Amino acid sequence: MRNHRSSAIAGIGALALCALGFALSSPYYSSIAVMAGVFTLLGLSVNLVFGYLGFVSFGHAAFFGLGAYTVALLTLGLGISPWLAVPFAIIPTLALGALVGFASLRVGGAYFAIASMVTAEILRLVAGNWLDVTRGHLGLIVPSAQIPILDSIGIPSTAYQLVIVVSAVVLVYVALRRLFASPVGRSWIAVRESVDLAESIGIPTVRARVLNLTVSGGLAGLAGALLVPKILVVSPELFGAGYSSLGLLMVILGGKGTLIGPVLGGTIFAIVPELLRILDDYRGALFAILILLMIRIKPDGLADLLPTALSPLGGERRNEKADQSRPPARLLQADRPVRPDARPLLTVKNASKSFAGVRAVADLTFTVQEGEIVGLIGPNGAGKTTSLKLISGFLTPSSGTVNFDGHELGQRPPHEVAALGLVRTFQHTELYGNLSAVDNVMIGTHLLSPTTLIGALLRTAHFRSTEAQRRATAHEMLGLVGLADKADIRASDLPYGEQKLLAIALALAARPRALLLDEPAAGLNHSEALRLGKLLQELKSRGLTIVIVEHNVPLVMSICDRVVVLHHGEVVTVGTPFEVQRNETVKAAYLGMADDHAEDVILA
Amino acid sequence: MLDLIAQQVLNGLSLGMGYVLVALGLTLVFGVLHIVNFAHGVFYMLGGLITLLCVTKLGLPLTLALVLATVCVGAIAYLIDIIGVRPVAHGPKGHDTVMLSTFAIGLFIFEVTLVSWGTAPQRVAGYSGLLTFFDLTLTVHRATVLVVGAVLLAAIWFTLNKTKFGKQMRALAENPFAARVVGVPVERVGSATFIIAGALAGIAGALLVPISLFTPLIGQNVILKAFVIVVMGGMGSVVGAMVCGLALGVLEAVGSIYIPAGFNLALIYSTLLIVLLIRPKGLFGGRL
Repeated sequence: MRNHRSSAIAGIGALALCALGFALSSPYYSSIAVMAGVFTLLGLSVNLVFGYLGFVSFGHAAFFGLGAYTVALLTLGLGISPWLAVPFAIIPTLALGALVGFASLRVGGAYFAIASMVTAEILRLVAGNWLDVTRGHLGLIVPSAQIPILDSIGIPSTAYQLVIVVSAVVLVYVALRRLFASPVGRSWIAVRESVDLAESIGIPTVRARVLNLTVSGGLAGLAGALLVPKILVVSPELFGAGYSSLGLLMVILGGKGTLIGPVLGGTIFAIVPELLRILDDYRGALFAILILLMIRIKPDGLADLLPTALSPLGGERRNEKADQSRPPARLLQADRPVRPDARPLLTVKNASKSFAGVRAVADLTFTVQEGEIVGLIGPNGAGKTTSLKLISGFLTPSSGTVNFDGHELGQRPPHEVAALGLVRTFQHTELYGNLSAVDNVMIGTHLLSPTTLIGALLRTAHFRSTEAQRRATAHEMLGLVGLADKADIRASDLPYGEQKLLAIALALAARPRALLLDEPAAGLNHSEALRLGKLLQELKSRGLTIVIVEHNVPLVMSICDRVVVLHHGEVVTVGTPFEVQRNETVKAAYLGMADDHAEDVILA
Repeated sequence: MLDLIAQQVLNGLSLGMGYVLVALGLTLVFGVLHIVNFAHGVFYMLGGLITLLCVTKLGLPLTLALVLATVCVGAIAYLIDIIGVRPVAHGPKGHDTVMLSTFAIGLFIFEVTLVSWGTAPQRVAGYSGLLTFFDLTLTVHRATVLVVGAVLLAAIWFTLNKTKFGKQMRALAENPFAARVVGVPVERVGSATFIIAGALAGIAGALLVPISLFTPLIGQNVILKAFVIVVMGGMGSVVGAMVCGLALGVLEAVGSIYIPAGFNLALIYSTLLIVLLIRPKGLFGGRL
């Protein structure tokens, strides 16, 4: 596998070098290659948001144009070389990206797409009408983009333009590749697939989104800035819908959510219209037909054709063998001596929640000791899932408090609750279906040990060792739930029962002290439920505290130390399974059945 | 001054009516079929082009040209649905693919028109005559736009709310799977929606081309405004598209008294962004 991959990469590299040499041979080819490089950068930027974060942006020309205009204004205002202005031109686009990132928290889906388009249009209108600064539609003219030293030794300007642009593309490509193979890239994919799941395992989704859009804005700005030395005239059309749609189309054509896709797309969009130049006026039309054919023949994009089929998490992970020799200090954060008489780990006190006046949960009060398994049972609509959301930070109590290990949860968002060591799972199993089982658990290791953006970019020794540790943890967690041999199988291809186990492994990878399970046995057959019960007891024996919401009463009765019975949003009783089974109120309340029948259900 | 404002409100309403017709199709297609149609601007352009051809080349009367334009664009919309939407909409990445495919079809039609017509603006004479009441004047043509637009809006409202077909559309909008289960002919209703949307944009182009001159670029200019209207009103909301379309026309016309046209639009669009931050689903977000 690895040899196959690296030879493919070497092949592509050699091909690229040949192309570069060829392009350098004539100014005409160089200028097409510069366009290909600029388009590639724009495509990589759009792909970051569209392919990895899952937001469709029709407005990346906003960043593209802003980068170009900043270069032109700096060049003309300060009289410096446009090349010098390029690094500074990225700054306003980073800022705009961050702004859009915060806006994306409120405005999503198609609304985000159109809002981004409108943002670009506003900038286009301003650039077209603010004559004093931008000269309107005449555009700003950068006098020259020569580098005198290089000119003096006889290197043509088209050649060094190309070398600079290609270097930028290579740098960005490598940087993104490293980000995608780090917790940063994984957090973006986590957000794309499910914000709730990402939050539950401790990923600060707000920060992940803002960071993504900031980086993406900066990249598109860089693309626009690098275009200036080639075109020299900066006009409002750089903000136009043309460039925004170009970005999206390159990504779709090349392969969304792959690293190589935008490179292919960018190159094609730069070269093909030129190849079709003999067709003169009709080349735009023919290009449209080619896109249509392409959609029908290869809807997943050209990247699909490559033998390497790069995984969405980047390529480098395969090179990192799980470092079995150095397992993490403690497998579970809970792996520690249990103090039986200590104060409760989790205290819920008079917690209530109302939705539009309807009380879903009223005066919920119970405690959980460290190392205990506590079951929450009750008929449908009793408020079990709402209670679980209150405890895990997905809902804030209307009144009352939840205290975990001495911390009031209050308004804390779920990812902070997870960071405290309280991690939940979901009733409708949430997984990253397209990723392998082990990659799923890798996303869960987000909280394992903090990595910095710089660490991931430079691949410092510290970063590499934590990454290896994450991988080792991921494999151990899979082993713990009994999926060690399924590590490379796509999550959505696993049978349902194993998906449920994988979801638990994912939660365990966040190294919780307490696990909140929402109906983990729902839909499991008898033997699968038994397997689950054994796993939970094994986890308990390793010191993990568990709160389980479950309809499978026999399972609850067999594994729980204590059971909390809810009915109509209120606690009916708390006790050992034995006590609860004999409680008259429970019998009466449970499913509203006649006594005999209720007994069957509870004692089943 | 007040007269001028009133006059501009009137002009803005007729302009806005054109926007409404374009936006209505876009919002219907999004609401019912759950896709964003990038070829929609081309429908508008083709409506204008066919009118131009009929009137200047064939010497047909304007009314006949309007009808022909509407029918032809509806037919073209059906073709696009068959070629570019239906076959690709159901794949795993259907949404992206439809975007790309409608974009490519739009690009194709635009490029071909551009090559055969060039960018020089061309004129079509509208209905002649002037209506005067109090101090306000309105060309007969603009009045026609208002009346035809109002009739079409009423027809759409009636169709959506009072006919079986309208119910089927709303069922499809609510939940395509459930609609299929209860026996709604999903493909047929989808195609019909696409044709109606195309015809609406076509007639808008036909009606407005005597006001705004024809170039192949008019589709691109209007589509952005249509998107803004659709989002401001709430995607899929018919009432939202009507209100916001008229409002955009009026704001544009009245604002141009005080502010240069480019900045005026930038200001309107900025307002949209702020509105979206406050109401992320648009002003009338929700249902058809």
